[in-house]
Amino acid sequence: MKARLFSALVLAVVATASAVAQPSFAGPMPSAAVEPDANARREAYHQRINEVLRWYSAQAKPGVPYGREVILAKLALREDRAEVSRSVIAYLKDPGTGPFWMFPVVAMSLLGQDQLTPAAQQALRDMWRTTYQVRGDTENHWAMYYISLYLISERYPNEPAETWYTGKSSAENLAEAREYLIHWMDLATTVGQGEFNPTGYIAEYAIPLSYLSTWAKDPAMRLRGRMMLDLLFSELAENSLHGMLRGPNARTDEGSVIERWNAITSYFNWLLFGDTAPPAGYGGFGMFFAIAAKNYDVPEVMYRIAVDRDRDYVARDLKRTRRRWRLSDQLMPPIYKTSYMRRDYAVGSYQGGLADPIQTHVWDVTWAVPDPRGAHNTMFSLHPYSSNDSMQMYFSAYPEPMIPNLAVEGKPSYDTATKVVGSSPYERVFQDRDTVIALYDIPPGTRFPQVNGFFSKDLANLTEDKSGWIFAQGGNAYLAYRPLAAYRWIPYLHRNGGWAKEEKSLGGQLLVSEFLRNGTIVQAASADEFRSFDAFKAAINALPLEFKLEPVPAVKMTTLRGTRVAFAYGQVPLVNGARLDYAKWKLFESPYLNAEKGSRKVTISWGRMHRVLDFNGPSITDSVAP
Amino acid sequence: MNGFPSGLAAGLRLLALLALSAASRPLAAAPAGFYLCAALNKGYVTGSKITTVSGLFKRDGAGGWQHIGYNDLSITAAAFDPRDHSVIYTAAVNGCWRSLDGGQTWRQTNGWDITEGRDVAVDPRSPDHVYLALPDGVAVSPDRAQTWVRRENGLPDRGKYTQTIKVDRAHAGRVLAGCESGIYLTENGAKSWRRVLPTAATVDDLQQAWNDPRQWAAVTQSDGAWASIDGGVTWRRFPGVPADHALYNITFDPTHPRRLAIASWHYGVFTSEDSGATWTARNAGLPEPHRVARVGVDPDTGRLYASVVNESLYTSDDFGRTWRRGALEGSVVNNFITVPVAVK
Repeated sequence: MKARLFSALVLAVVATASAVAQPSFAGPMPSAAVEPDANARREAYHQRINEVLRWYSAQAKPGVPYGREVILAKLALREDRAEVSRSVIAYLKDPGTGPFWMFPVVAMSLLGQDQLTPAAQQALRDMWRTTYQVRGDTENHWAMYYISLYLISERYPNEPAETWYTGKSSAENLAEAREYLIHWMDLATTVGQGEFNPTGYIAEYAIPLSYLSTWAKDPAMRLRGRMMLDLLFSELAENSLHGMLRGPNARTDEGSVIERWNAITSYFNWLLFGDTAPPAGYGGFGMFFAIAAKNYDVPEVMYRIAVDRDRDYVARDLKRTRRRWRLSDQLMPPIYKTSYMRRDYAVGSYQGGLADPIQTHVWDVTWAVPDPRGAHNTMFSLHPYSSNDSMQMYFSAYPEPMIPNLAVEGKPSYDTATKVVGSSPYERVFQDRDTVIALYDIPPGTRFPQVNGFFSKDLANLTEDKSGWIFAQGGNAYLAYRPLAAYRWIPYLHRNGGWAKEEKSLGGQLLVSEFLRNGTIVQAASADEFRSFDAFKAAINALPLEFKLEPVPAVKMTTLRGTRVAFAYGQVPLVNGARLDYAKWKLFESPYLNAEKGSRKVTISWGRMHRVLDFNGPSITDSVAP
Repeated sequence: MNGFPSGLAAGLRLLALLALSAASRPLAAAPAGFYLCAALNKGYVTGSKITTVSGLFKRDGAGGWQHIGYNDLSITAAAFDPRDHSVIYTAAVNGCWRSLDGGQTWRQTNGWDITEGRDVAVDPRSPDHVYLALPDGVAVSPDRAQTWVRRENGLPDRGKYTQTIKVDRAHAGRVLAGCESGIYLTENGAKSWRRVLPTAATVDDLQQAWNDPRQWAAVTQSDGAWASIDGGVTWRRFPGVPADHALYNITFDPTHPRRLAIASWHYGVFTSEDSGATWTARNAGLPEPHRVARVGVDPDTGRLYASVVNESLYTSDDFGRTWRRGALEGSVVNNFITVPVAVK
């Protein structure tokens, strides 16, 4: 029973709502110009919100009860109250369970407080008594579940236990929800977020947090909701390349890991910053955020991080894996994430190993393109790991049923040799700015004993050099890919999302290397740094490089930036002769986001502007340095 | 191993003891109820609509299954207060639910810090005490699940994933827990635990024999099936049961003390009719692949049930020699529960 519904719901929403044109999805890419005027930015933000709400409201069909998206859009627009009330009653006749069901119903209750008929309001109240709600088993489930429970318990205070599905009073529900939410916020701001930088699941956090920041009666909880949104969106801004989130990602899917723009993160970048186009149907779940988005003001410091960068930068973040129930000596091992952002491309990674059992993306180089729609603008390699052990590590399940169930429940690619999403316990990664070294030591007998390298249809000048390097150009980025063992090419077949059972031939190739001890080196550079592609190739070929695969894969090299690296599988990397000290990794460290581990205090910066999110208070403090 | 004399002779002696014990003792008490926990919504993921009724079911007089309580696919186990069967506890993804009125109303007994209940057990000799098996250890309630405390002294920091927990019906506060790293025993109400059988992977099920409370059986994911004749203090491997793949549960037949059955996704059904001395695969008539999640025995009729994952509940009136497709189409049974007569 796992959270794989998101993509299916998105597809369903998009499929049913595609009859009406979506202006920003179908239109030209937005201007990259920075809007300095705060009022103009705010007005544009509200226009985008209204575009979403109007588009969903227009999906209403005469004579047919509205679905939940239309109900909520119309409540947000305060229109068709009588029909909306009737539709709410009809909708609740076939109730669902769990966090995905809860948060839209909470939104109906809160948006509809002064709009719905007494009968509709009563139906909404009764649902919380009659319909058991499952809490789920992931971090995003719990964010949705507990924010929903918190808000609905506040909405109906002082009511006895027998009026709630939990068998607990309003006060008990509220206390349980509040306690968890503060615990979760503490975790995220001391040792890092678990489901970090998700391409899809960002919505499952942003939506309930926007409801908390809008409707919580307790000012401190309302502020906490706002602060978590600031943190979530600041990370999105910092990790996006021209409005497009790239890797690594704790949870993603086959579609968006290849077509990097095609994720709901692009909806949020579009809505908040206006710096890209939104995906089809506004990402499906995007409308659930839009109904409360007017209550969120995009702080200038965050806007500037997203759209107004004047430098290349390295960002190092501390995160954590999904909770490991067993087969691990740690409950939530740390994730040490590195990101290097430039105008033309971005490189990101974490140190390897399992973060989430199914949906993790460990590293990539992603290049900028003028219009990312349909572009496969990324390069990476992975070991296509699949095992019952990893299922059991993260799920309270028996060993065998989960993998076959994944095929029917929404992850048909999980148990395939050619998959392009997933982390492996047998991958170790080191990154220094735009150099990535990924080493693999796959035990004999492991399922799918191979390394897959993704080579996009959009690469130009793909060249297999006699030196062993493979050179290519993506956008204005030059790329050098060095497989450490022999390989073959197979056509890449694209799945448009995690639920997609159909594979489409859209071009591109997979480099498949079937050696247990293996490795990949990727070096990126901007084309502007070289007088020609050949000059780049010559520079790469001139780099000092030694590698071996026995007894374990090991690389010694000097990067294009002059860093001396010695990295062997299972050992701490040496950088210019010094051991990389992961213990010194901060919660956030970059020109834009900074926080000490354990501090509960994050500073968002751009230029002289600073916003401090202090969860110890809680408080938000803005300042402009002289 | 674990206090047993080693070697074949010792193994044969164990089996002889088991057989002697089984043959000489009457059943402890006439069973009163037969229940199961089942999920009927094939392909369900969190967020999708539940279009079927899942959860706790009781076998009715006609052999059908009547749903009790709330609709929840995630119920993995249930336990009843021996004094009053209208007091029901369920282990489920939300933790542990309790009903005081036979399933009419329920309360989630735990807060956020308890989740994904795997098994729940009531101490028959101290029925206010409830034990909950959790992915991160064990919780104990001294007050019928009004409050919970963690009692994990002696369990390892890691390796305490607890799949199954059973209370010795002969001794208050004597409990066996099947964990990731082995079987653990407490004799003081979980104030302290000690490992009585180390395993390489999770212990999936523990059962106490109906005819002799000193007899226990266990199945594991990595180490085959095990028997104990001294209340779970020492263990000996059942011969002839393969250990290459996980075994999901084991059951004693309440109507026939020498009969046992084992369920396995990989192997299907194994049965023994000689107290575990020999085992026979009983899959003729089950769909291929066998993929059996659970076996259980009707305490009144001796009918053997096998839940074939996402297929149906199969029944056998000849202890696995032949099978008939039965009720609960598309289901997975998470547990069978036999409840003795209530003692007010």
